[in-house]
This record gives sequence, C-alpha cells and structure tokens, in this order.
Amino acid sequence: MNLRPVSNFLFLCLILLVTSCSQKPVFKEYNTVAKIGDQKEWAAKNWNDSNWSKSKPRLIGGEVYWSRTPIDILKAPEPLHPYAIRPYIYGEYEVYWDGVLIGKNGNPGQEETLNPEGEMLATFIIPPDLTEKGQHMLAIRTSVYHFPDHVGMKVDIANYDDLLTKRLIETSYMHIFAGAFLIASIYFLFLFLGNKKEYRMLIFSICCFLFFILNLAEFITTYTPIHYMHHRIRLEIIGALMFGISFLIPLYFSLQFPYPKRKIILILYAVILLFTFFVKHDFFNFTYRNMALSMWVFSLGIVIFGVYRKIKGAGLILLTLLLSMLVTFVTRFSIGIIVSFSIILLGMFYLLSLRIKEQRLAYETSLVQSTRLRLELLKKNIQPHFLMNTLTSLIDWIEEAPKKGVLFIEALAKEFDIFNQIENKTMIPVAQEIELCRRHLEIMKYRKEINYFWQEENIDMEQKIPPGILHTLLENGITHSLPLEDNSIKFKLAYEANNDYKCYTFLTFATCARQEITSREDGTGLKYIKARLTESYHEYWDFTSKPVHHGWKNTIKIYA
Amino acid sequence: MNILIVEDESRIAKRIERMTRAIYGNTLQSLKHINTLHEALSFIENNSLDLVLLDLNLNGDNGFDLLTTAVSGSFHTIIISAYKEQAITAFEYGVLDFVPKPFNKERLEQAFNRIIKKEKVIINTVKFLAVKKRNRVQLISVKDILYIKGAGAYTELFLSDGKKELHDKSLEKLEQLLAKSFERIHKSYLVKMSEVKEIIIKSGSKYIAELNNGTAIPIGRTKYKDIKTKWF
Repeated sequence: MNLRPVSNFLFLCLILLVTSCSQKPVFKEYNTVAKIGDQKEWAAKNWNDSNWSKSKPRLIGGEVYWSRTPIDILKAPEPLHPYAIRPYIYGEYEVYWDGVLIGKNGNPGQEETLNPEGEMLATFIIPPDLTEKGQHMLAIRTSVYHFPDHVGMKVDIANYDDLLTKRLIETSYMHIFAGAFLIASIYFLFLFLGNKKEYRMLIFSICCFLFFILNLAEFITTYTPIHYMHHRIRLEIIGALMFGISFLIPLYFSLQFPYPKRKIILILYAVILLFTFFVKHDFFNFTYRNMALSMWVFSLGIVIFGVYRKIKGAGLILLTLLLSMLVTFVTRFSIGIIVSFSIILLGMFYLLSLRIKEQRLAYETSLVQSTRLRLELLKKNIQPHFLMNTLTSLIDWIEEAPKKGVLFIEALAKEFDIFNQIENKTMIPVAQEIELCRRHLEIMKYRKEINYFWQEENIDMEQKIPPGILHTLLENGITHSLPLEDNSIKFKLAYEANNDYKCYTFLTFATCARQEITSREDGTGLKYIKARLTESYHEYWDFTSKPVHHGWKNTIKIYA
Repeated sequence: MNILIVEDESRIAKRIERMTRAIYGNTLQSLKHINTLHEALSFIENNSLDLVLLDLNLNGDNGFDLLTTAVSGSFHTIIISAYKEQAITAFEYGVLDFVPKPFNKERLEQAFNRIIKKEKVIINTVKFLAVKKRNRVQLISVKDILYIKGAGAYTELFLSDGKKELHDKSLEKLEQLLAKSFERIHKSYLVKMSEVKEIIIKSGSKYIAELNNGTAIPIGRTKYKDIKTKWF
C-alpha cells in the first residue's frame, strides 16, 4: 500500500519525460502579420508587408485574409527528412512557402458555396529544395466562414517525421490512461451494483468514465479528421465533461471527509461551478482552467479539513492534490489536466481500497457478532438461572401436584419450541415474539406463583423485529419486580407507527425490587437488545429504559 | 433452630421450607422466608439466627453482597443456588455447604447434618473470614490467622501482624469451617497447625504448643493424645 505514492511518482516522471523531449531549434520564427483581402502576389517572398497589421484581423465571415510569417532556417534538413508545417488555424486555407503553394486545406474564400473540406490538424511538407539555410517566407491564405471571431495564426514547424509521430506517441500514452480508467469505471460500477448503498463507488465509477471520455475527446484530433466547423462540438463536450468531473471529485471527497453543513456548501459550490461554466463560455480554455481551479481549491479545503480531523487517508489525498497542481504548472494544459486528474483519481482509488478493506473487516466483525447473538439467544434456554430454577420448581410441582406439573412441562415445551424456530433468525414476526413472551409468563407463573398479565395495544402483527428483544425486556421485568398488593404483575406492549418511526413501548406495572434504583446500563440483557437492534437497523434506532411511578418503561424506536 | 430462607422463587422457597420443617421437626423454633436482598439484610441484623439458607441471585442482584454479610454473622450459611461455578468462591468465603439446584430432600438433609452432627468441612478450603467492622464487613485472609481464642459467644482472631480481630461466630462453628488446617488443641483455642513450632511438656502433665512467633498456647489434657497421633 505504501508503494502507491512511489509508483504515482514514477509514472509522472515517465509522462514528463515523454512530453518534454525537445531538440535544438533549427528555425527562427518572426512575428506574423496579417491583412484582409485577397491578392495572389501576397504569397511572394519579397512582398512589402510593412503596412500589414500585427494583430489578428477582425472578420465578418467568409472573406479571405492573408497572414505572412518570416522564418529563418538555421540548418538545412538532412536528405530524406524534410521539414514540415502544421498550422493551428481555424478555417480553410492554402499554404505558400516562398511564394510556392505547398498545400491546401479546404477551399478558402469559397466556403459559402462549396461543401466543408479539410481538417483541424493538417501537416504540409516543405519541398526540400526550398529549405536551404537562410530567410524564407510563409504565407497563408485563409477564410473563416463559420467562426469569424476565432482567428488563429499559430504554426508549428518541425521535422516532418517528428511532427507526425510526437503527437501520436503522446496520444497513445494518454489512451493507456483512458483504458485503465475505463476498466476502473466498469469495475466500480459493478461493485456499486453489488451494493447500492455505496454511492462513493458510483461517483468514482462515473468520474472514471467521464475521465475516459475526456481523454478521448482531448486527443481525438490526432487520428480523426474533424472540420473546424465541427470543432466546437468537441470543445463543448470537453467543457461538459470538465464540469461533471469538477463537481464529482469534490462531492466524492465530501462523502469521504465529512464536514458540517455539507449540503449547503455543495450547492454553493455547484452554483460557483455553473457560473464559471457559463461566464465567458466561448473561451474554452479559460473556462476549463477556472473549473479545474475551483475543483482543486474546493477539494483542497475539504481534504485539509479531513487532515485536521485526522480522517484516515486525508494526508495522502492532500499530497496527490499538491502533486497534481505541480503537474499542471510544469506541463502543457491539455496534458497537465489529464495527468493531474489521473493523480487525483488514483488517490480516490486508494481511498476506495481503504473503504473496501474497512467493509471487509466490518463484515467479518458482524459475522462474529451475529454468531455471538445467536448463541446468546440459545443460552437464554440453558443458562443455569433459568434452567435450574425451572427444573427445581418443576420437580416440586411433580412431587406435590403432578397434574399441574404436567401443564408446567407443556408450557416449557412450547417455549422451547418457539426458541427452536427463531434461534437462527435475525428478524421474526412480532406475533411470534409475543407468543414467546406469553409462554414465558406461563412458566414464570408456575415458578414464582405470581399472577402475570399480558396486555397488547395496537400491535401490527405483520411487523418484524429481532428475536428475543421483547422476551429480554420481559425477563428483566420479571427479575427486577415485586408483585403489587394483589400478587400480580402486569406487562403491556403498545405499538405506534408514523412516517418517521415505529415505536414499541413495553411497560411493567409492579413494585420495583430495588430500594435504590441503579442504572441497568451494563446488564447483559440490555446489551443483547442493543446489539440486536444495531444488527438489524444499524444506527437508526433508539432505546430507552427507565423507572416510572407504576414500575418500568422501555421504548424501542425504529426510524424509517 | 432459627432459620432464614432467602429465595426469590416462591415455589422453590416453599419447597425448602417444607423440607426444612420435615427434617428439623420439633427442634425448629422459627422459619422465615424473605425474597429480597434488602429485607434479608435488615432481618439478619435485627434477629438472632442459627442458619441462613441463601440463594445467590436475587432479583438480578448479586448475592455475594449478602453473602459477605451473612458469613460474618454468628450463624452458619448454606447456599442453595443454580450457579454451580460459584460454589468454590462460596466455600472460600466460609459457607458451610453449597446445595446446587435442582435439589432433593436427601441433599438438603446432608447439608443440615453438618449442623446437626457438627460435621467438619474438610473438602473445601476457607480462604477468608468475614469480620464485622463499624459500617462494613472486612475479609480477613485465613493465611494471616495464627490462632483463634474463644471468648464466650464470640472469638478472637490473632493475626500474623500482631493484630487482633473479633469474630461473631463461636469457636465450634469456626472449628467446623477451618477443620482442614486448624486444630482445636484446647477448649478455648483453635490453632493453625503449620504455625506450631514444637510441643513442650511441662511438669504436672502440662502441654504447651509453642508457635513460630514464640506465643505459647496450652494444650488440653484430653486433646494431647489425639493431636500427637494426628499431627506428629
């Protein structure tokens, strides 16, 4: 388990190594100038462009503009390894090198009439005979019919082979990530389906899946030609995915590291995130960054609170958050965001593994506990106090009044019979439990020669309760009570239910046997009741047991 | 005989009562049944008794509270209980017998015989003697007792640290309980035999037992022979 941070770090190093190999530059690129209009001569190497604008042209839509970039080649290419150009430009364009047309991506100026053509990432080889050492001119003739306000003038120039392979390598590494997270997503979805209460697993599964799609969407341009017209769809998808992930990760941490007023704070966070999502929505990178930052800051807050509260795993998550921030600082945004999400998701993965371990331990404990409770229920029958006193009385009845002795045996047989039926159950119908109590009273009548009365009020016989809990209350009532003046003790079971809870009230009408009433908190009987309630209702129950003027009052509340 | 039955199960109490009456017959002066701890304690305090028959589990209370008070009294205590595993502890506290439930008349009679015939308890070891102090009962370890001197209805316990404690039980009753390691060497003395260093014979057929700490205790003329054959 301790190796996880180390392996994270190694993986990160690998990514950095792959993405940051740079070579000694063989070009020098000067400032690009642009002009709206369309003249074939503008492609020429020596055209006087001193009056051209250095800023991006403001287009209305459909018109052609030219951009010119002087480039110095510092070192001629090696034979058979030509240089190439990759423009990062929205629109359809033609590329001229020293006045020579070297490539075409769509039909600039004719977008309105012709079908969309071309792709986002086009690469053009510069003819080797035009790449001798010295000054050159790159001229691009572009039209942006669909998104005239998105003018791009950036170009990438490099060795043709490198230009093609570098991005492919990057993409393949990123897709390894994507695949891993797809599998994690499916795995945790199955885990969630197996235990529908584990929302953390569901959230993690969705996170992994969104992350998988995000990864695909981010790098799809490498191998799928997309016309710039459709590029917005991709950006919108990435935005939506970022929004989802940015909300789910802090939500996950909120469940893992609880803090006060969670709901209100989460709603507030969602509002902030929505605001970030919609304000300046068209500046995609800006939106992505802000959402990622909000996510990071909020998560950091939660995790720091978790560390403060000394919740298990919070320290490691804090480390992964800091590490992810470091990564986004040292790498390109598109890669940084993926790597840092990966690191955070790995941290969440670790938390889930802790959670699964906890569950396993809890399950093992509960098995032991259930067995223990079952034994305790069984023991009620054979514990010496009950059994030997019963047998002694029984012998006496048989010796003194054999007919009554037989009735006594029958009552005993009935109680044993019910115990046999419920012995291995965790829940039984309340009717059965009441029957058990009535049989027990019958036995006690013979033993103690007190008139015991049983009364019920408003009982829903269909309801189920853990076995032996009313019986335990009855036993306590018998043991700790002295009869009233008419030699009677009355027990009453009342039931009420509403939308919030079900409540059983068990009353004893008797004289209390103890002069000073001490708390029965530590009695094994009450421990048994509490353990049974926990077994069946987890923490959604309430049990009180206290003296009242007529004897004793017990209430068992079970919350919906 | 004045007997108290402390038992919270009515049917069982009646059984004990019936059998007790049958066994003691005319010699029974009084027989009282009480079913709560509190009442039993105050009854013991205010009445002169010869025997207490005690159940250790009363209305969920631990009968050992009552037991320590009972064994400090002048009377003998017999436990009638469902919990056999408590027998050893009960004997250590100095009860005369432990009758496990369910019991019959023969078993009860056997227990009563220890009183009637003054049988000695030699199977089980008493570890403590309960001594009444001003508001409480103190347990004295039998290990610390060197010898016991009769003083009328009471006895005086002489301890190894030189202290002296007063006990409510008669020398006869203690002799019965402590039979395993103590010997009645004189009408008024019960001595732990492991503490006896030597027996000195003085002129005029006077026998003296000298203890390890130098105390000299007279040996009854009639007892000397028995002691000699039994211990030396």
